Amino acid sequence: MRGLFRWSRKWWPGVVPLVLLWIVAAWRTTGPLEADLTAQATATLKDSVLNRVGLSTAGRDVTFAAEAFSEEGRSSAVASVEAVPGVRLVNDQTALVPESKPYVWSAARDVAKVTLGGNTPLPTIRNKLLDAARATFPGVEVVDQMNFARGAPNRFDVAALLLIDQLTRLKDGKITLSDNKVELEGMARDLGGREAIAAGLNNLPDGFSVTRNAVQAPPYIFSAIKDPVAGTLTLSGYVPDNAVHAELVAAAGRKFFNEKVIDKLKASLGAPESFAGAVTRALGALSRLSTGTLEVSDREVKLSGDALYNAAGNQIRADLPKDMPRDWTAKTEVSVKPAAAPVDKTVCQQLLSELLGKSKIRFESGRANIDPDSIGLLDLLVATAFRCPSATIEIIGHTDSDGDDKFNQTLSERRAQAVADYLVKAGLPADRFKPMGYGSAQPIAPNDNDEDKAKNRRIDFVVRQ
Amino acid sequence: MGYLVTFLWGWLLGALLLGLGMGWIAAVHHGRPVSKKVARWLALLVALLLAAAVAHIVPGRFGYWLDLGLGMFGVYLVGCAIGSWLRDILIAHQSRAS
Repeated sequence: MRGLFRWSRKWWPGVVPLVLLWIVAAWRTTGPLEADLTAQATATLKDSVLNRVGLSTAGRDVTFAAEAFSEEGRSSAVASVEAVPGVRLVNDQTALVPESKPYVWSAARDVAKVTLGGNTPLPTIRNKLLDAARATFPGVEVVDQMNFARGAPNRFDVAALLLIDQLTRLKDGKITLSDNKVELEGMARDLGGREAIAAGLNNLPDGFSVTRNAVQAPPYIFSAIKDPVAGTLTLSGYVPDNAVHAELVAAAGRKFFNEKVIDKLKASLGAPESFAGAVTRALGALSRLSTGTLEVSDREVKLSGDALYNAAGNQIRADLPKDMPRDWTAKTEVSVKPAAAPVDKTVCQQLLSELLGKSKIRFESGRANIDPDSIGLLDLLVATAFRCPSATIEIIGHTDSDGDDKFNQTLSERRAQAVADYLVKAGLPADRFKPMGYGSAQPIAPNDNDEDKAKNRRIDFVVRQ
Repeated sequence: MGYLVTFLWGWLLGALLLGLGMGWIAAVHHGRPVSKKVARWLALLVALLLAAAVAHIVPGRFGYWLDLGLGMFGVYLVGCAIGSWLRDILIAHQSRAS
């Protein structure tokens, strides 16, 4: 041992080349060592769920910066870097992803792109949302403006995926999820899109609710064109369902007995409230025009055309806006058709009979109130009566044999009077009309079946020669 | 430690060989040894450096270079000790033979 001590005092000359060797070793090994440690630390973090990972090594000291999604994940990631062989110190610059309150996420769509923005809790969920958007909008650019944040509500991903699906129904617009409240705005791609979105949102997970749905739909269009030259009534546009479709076509058939109904209607969701009632009434007004167009756009009704006589024009202009349901508006551009040339009594009778041969004046069952479906026919009768100003016309009411004779007699008289009143109200002199009733005394068919009974329930116009 | 030895084995081997050579020479060298006082100061210096390395006081690359230097110095000393000891055995063997 003493020898060793004695010798060691003579070992110092070797320190000089040792220092040189040390300098060369430091120069040659520092870079590779740092690169190797960085690579190992990166590899060890491969399975960790982190955001914005930054690793740099100086000598054997690793500076580790990252955003973790939980405290457990953060500490575990730091520990795994510390455990890398060769690492001396870890300069821990990790932090938790910031918490967001309220937790806002959004999906917006315009012509060119779909933009996902706001907060998302995890990379897996972010990728899931982006993948869903790309699959839902093939060929459309999907822009990712999402940031990570903690504090997402439960089942955030399920709700967000559902909202991405709803975005397909928008032409443009934005859906925002704020905590568990959904807000929507924009323009629906199709008629009924707004309703389809509302139905889709019923599948939101429990706890989520829609606080504002400002999605607008394209206008709900319906039109009817009465063309007396072609003898057609063309219906086009949309109806809410098959039942309303059948109801409107049937009403058109009754009101427009002189025209062939051409049905080009299509069923679609998105009809405004009271659509069927408003359109039926507007069709009634159109039936009073000699030629005309009815256009319905959402809750706006526009009727244009020529009335058959002055009073009809005035009535249509005054009554149609009043007849509309609440929140509906009606505009009329109704002029009056020039009066036709006068005809003699024989032609007058012929014209009246022709009209009544094509259709009948209908009344409410057992009463003398004229059915609104018959107003178009009555206006044609009025216009014809105007063409024979010197003729006196008997208006004769008939019933079928059902019920009491006395009641039928009274009913036939009252119905004839109701028709005469309509004609007088239209501006014709009261003394030209002789309303009378024959009850069931003058049947034109045996009263043994419903069809023949219906033939017997009638109003006849007889021009006195 | 295992990682560093694996990574730096060539340089450490160099320091060991240098130490072996120096130890081999020092056993028969008649040059002037360092004084005891200087030897103590040097030992104190090495102890301080060793303490700094163990305490991880020196940061970054300087810390690594310190570790590297101390490691090479330690291996060098081991080499010196082995070299001197072998030479001493050899000298003793030759003395007995003559």
